[in-house]
Amino acid sequence: MSPSGRWRPRDSGPVVRPYAVTGGRTEPADGEVLDLIAVVVTTGRAVAPDDHPPLTPEHRRILGLCRQQVTVADLAAETTLPLGVVRVLLSDLITQGVVTVVRQRPPAQRTQNDVLQEILNGLRAL
Amino acid sequence: MGSARSDSSGPARPPVAAFTAHKILIAGGFGSGKTTLVGAISEVRPLRTEETLTTASVGLDDLSGTPGKTTTTVALDFGRITISRKVVLYLFGLPGQERFSFLWSELAYGALGAVILADVRRLDECFPSVNYFESRGLPFVVAINCFDSAPRYDPEEVRTALDLDPDVPTVLCDARDVASVKHVLITLVETVAARRIATAGSRR
Repeated sequence: MSPSGRWRPRDSGPVVRPYAVTGGRTEPADGEVLDLIAVVVTTGRAVAPDDHPPLTPEHRRILGLCRQQVTVADLAAETTLPLGVVRVLLSDLITQGVVTVVRQRPPAQRTQNDVLQEILNGLRAL
Repeated sequence: MGSARSDSSGPARPPVAAFTAHKILIAGGFGSGKTTLVGAISEVRPLRTEETLTTASVGLDDLSGTPGKTTTTVALDFGRITISRKVVLYLFGLPGQERFSFLWSELAYGALGAVILADVRRLDECFPSVNYFESRGLPFVVAINCFDSAPRYDPEEVRTALDLDPDVPTVLCDARDVASVKHVLITLVETVAARRIATAGSRR
């Protein structure tokens, strides 16, 4: 979803236990736990069905949402899947090379002052 | 944005970030107005986490009737403010109950700063978050939510009661009012900026 995209309310909950869609896995395949605001995007590579287990509908849904750069938190809210589940499914897509993490400035590094100023200006203009 | 997908073969080139995401935490006790505050300034959506039960919740979550249950759902308030095409601000409500504090470090990772919503009738509920942000060195402001039924206190009295450092702003706010919430967030970002200037100065 784009940053300017609209959020649609969804009140229907899941009908299966959350980790059923990951085949019971609770840890990402690559062991990397993505930050809530890590940004991911599709790489444009085609899914290679011979090399990997088939993608589930949830995988495909996430893959579709990743056509535009999107945060992990947005993916979880948009799909109404729990964060942990989104992380596991995302790690599958990353392992398959169809999705990649957009590397941002490491969080330890200080956000530049001009970004802070931009945030201030933006908040004042709301 | 399209450039990130144009290369379908060859070595992976890290895509260029189309926007930078920044995180602000909203903390406070149960019923302090976190959901209201996030909803006043952004479209709020619940974010579910399905947490593996740890010893942190043993004895608190009654699992006697469900021996196979090893996860518990925690709902977080989640809001987004699009500052510009390149900058997006994310608000995350920290679950207030002590037993969810194991989630805090993950949520606080990389955060710009935090707002602690205070209800003057239950100021003691702010202590866990004040202690936590102080220990992490994360800039924060205390926003005193002016509930209609609550007595009014001078922000300085609240500062004394919470034993806050002089550089921690205390502001009055109405979590339902967008202008008031804006003021709180602006105060926080100004505090973050001031802290960085001070830190940069002391390193020279």
